[in-house]
Amino acid sequence: MHRRRWLLQLVLRALAHRKGRTVLLLAVLAMASSLATALGIVSYSMEKQVAGEVRKYGANLIIIPQSARLDVGSGGLNFGVITEPAYLQQREVEDTLARSGLKAERSFHLRGALHWKDADLMVDGVNFTDIRRLFPWWQLKGNWPATGETVVGSDLATRLKLKPGDTMELVGKAQTVRLRISGIVSSGGEEDGLLFLALPELQQALGLDGQLTLVRLMVTAGDESLKKRADALQLLLPSAKVNEVRQTARTSEGLLAKVKLLMFMVTAVVLVSAGSSVAGTMSTTVLERGKEIGLMKAMGGTRWEVMLIFCGEAAMLGFLGGLAGYLFGSAIAQFITRTVFSASAEFIPWFAGISLGVSLFLALLGSVGPMISVFKLDPVRSLRGE
Amino acid sequence: MLFRILKNSFLKRPKAVFLVFLSIAMGAAVATAFLGIAGEVSHKMALELRSYGANILLEPSAVEGGGFLREEDLPKIKTVFWKYNITGFTPYLFGIAEFSAGGKKERGVVSGTWFARQLEVPGEDPSVQGIKGIAPWWEVEGRWPEAADESIVGAALAKRLNVVPGGDVTTTVRGRTQQLRIVGVVTTGGYEEEQLFAPLVTVQSLLQQQGKISRVLVSALTVPMDDFGKKDPATMSKDEYEKWYCTAYVTSVAKNVEEVMAGSRAKPIWQIASAEGALLKKLNSVMLLLTVLALGASATAVSTSLMASMAERSPEIALMKAVGADRLQISAIFVGETLIISVAGGIVGYLLGDQLAGIISRTVFNSPISSPLWLFPTAIISAFAVAIAGSVAPLRRALLIEPVRVLKG
Repeated sequence: MHRRRWLLQLVLRALAHRKGRTVLLLAVLAMASSLATALGIVSYSMEKQVAGEVRKYGANLIIIPQSARLDVGSGGLNFGVITEPAYLQQREVEDTLARSGLKAERSFHLRGALHWKDADLMVDGVNFTDIRRLFPWWQLKGNWPATGETVVGSDLATRLKLKPGDTMELVGKAQTVRLRISGIVSSGGEEDGLLFLALPELQQALGLDGQLTLVRLMVTAGDESLKKRADALQLLLPSAKVNEVRQTARTSEGLLAKVKLLMFMVTAVVLVSAGSSVAGTMSTTVLERGKEIGLMKAMGGTRWEVMLIFCGEAAMLGFLGGLAGYLFGSAIAQFITRTVFSASAEFIPWFAGISLGVSLFLALLGSVGPMISVFKLDPVRSLRGE
Repeated sequence: MLFRILKNSFLKRPKAVFLVFLSIAMGAAVATAFLGIAGEVSHKMALELRSYGANILLEPSAVEGGGFLREEDLPKIKTVFWKYNITGFTPYLFGIAEFSAGGKKERGVVSGTWFARQLEVPGEDPSVQGIKGIAPWWEVEGRWPEAADESIVGAALAKRLNVVPGGDVTTTVRGRTQQLRIVGVVTTGGYEEEQLFAPLVTVQSLLQQQGKISRVLVSALTVPMDDFGKKDPATMSKDEYEKWYCTAYVTSVAKNVEEVMAGSRAKPIWQIASAEGALLKKLNSVMLLLTVLALGASATAVSTSLMASMAERSPEIALMKAVGADRLQISAIFVGETLIISVAGGIVGYLLGDQLAGIISRTVFNSPISSPLWLFPTAIISAFAVAIAGSVAPLRRALLIEPVRVLKG
């Protein structure tokens, strides 16, 4: 006990005696470990943030009736498919989604034709709150519709000379609906040629209560690949087809992997180089202490004891540096995620372990390495200053 | 004299010199690697995001549908103002056809297109255009068509027709028939699965629409839309319009392409274009902040290691003073030492950092990187500047010491 206190005393005194050096070393160690913490937290939350960003590309899974033709994708290739109507049961889909425990945003669609003047118009019954989440790219001129209102695709609007505020009377199989146009949507995709109204209104007009033609899902990226989740959902819904929209799904998976890899490489490069630089600085200060080591040895200290003193010193510096580094690094990470993603970085307590580890490792590496060469010194010669 | 002191200072304490050298080399390596990729990374990420598919759609301007574009206008897309931003384009001609294979009959869409076509435009580099380039998410089981009578078929259509690669499909349009060999089945999860894709010329002759196309999908590198970009070009003043036209907004690139395709109108595909801009902006600012962070860190690491090595040398300085060296001579010795170490460290660091940037670029983006020429002098000069900055404070302190007190110990 006595001996241990003596050792502690020695270490503390040595640190306090050379304040300049101690502060310098603390600063570098804190810098290296805050770098590790900041990069770690940023890459960790980056993955989530980018996953959130790629959601803006739209749905990644779709559910269609077994016999229906595929009718989705981003603009350009929808050359008008010839389809016989087939429907999904809204209730069944809702139940299955609830049962599967799949974390996903969804949007229900019912596609049908309504008669206006002397033409059939393609209409899509949707839930506009879902649309706003799943189709963030809609460029809407005018307002989002309230009940009894509709949104018209831009091509359709130009063709039929419609403008916001106009009222249309659309004839369905079961009912006739009067709708006021609240806005014009352009997206560069198939939406430009469609007319949108609230799902229940279209279901009533067509006499298709509780029926859907298409469900779009946006499944949150996770560890499991989307293909597997699609297959799992397919098993629960034998009456439908579950398809992965490769254009968004696969591309996003690839992109996320790239971002992850980039962040990993960047972190590794910075850590290895900054780390070796810091360990170098640490070594410089130990190398110059040959005299001190010589004195300790002359007084009868064994190698082991001298090593212990120096390691104790390094460990103390490493610990304090790591602590400061964690706090400082979290602040940097917070700043970066705030400015870039305008979201606060997650508070991740186990990163404290990493920053302490990095700092301790560098401090010990920096002092133990050169000590081995210092040990070879003859105490007499080093005390004489040779 | 100065030279001899410098020489001995390196030779007599190789370990200390090596450690400082290591610090500087590593700091310069981080700086070089980061500056090297930071400029390229946004370009590479933009190219990466192009794999989400085309962001501009060109179609005949007649609103009623129908109408055609001319195939002969296509090469002009490679000559427009924004030609270097256009990474690829693919023409399509489509029509409704009767498919029959092995006794099964189906009505569906037949699309004529380019898969991977060598395009030579006078005065421009030859390029390969087609679906293969702009739609990398297509999963083709089998291979891509090469001959004029080969085609690939969408997975859903293939299932209904019960054909596999190697089979034949007879395609009939208004009494004209064409035998097509299926060489691949494509899965995409979208419209494509319901169609049959054949080379453009084949479909043109099948549909009797020689030299005509019905759509072009263009994939272009664009800058994110900002408030200015969202303004309606029709309401802009002449100067504003010029500025808009000379910024690579998706709308201005679309306008640019529209001008060379007779009778066309170009629409941005907002699903792709709007998400891309937002994502790119964020990735770029992360890279920028990380670069600043890394540069700051390497500068601190270098200057502190200089500080550490200088701080321990007061006896040496005291002795020099005692034997009659003036401040200028002492400064010359230390600055000279720093200069030599930092130039050597800067060169090694530059070479190392260049390699690191190359490795990162190759592993992440599968493409090499060309680091800019200005990076080499910058790396060395900044290594020197940072090292000097680190040694100023300890040198000043060293110059102030009283030799007698230090030498007495």
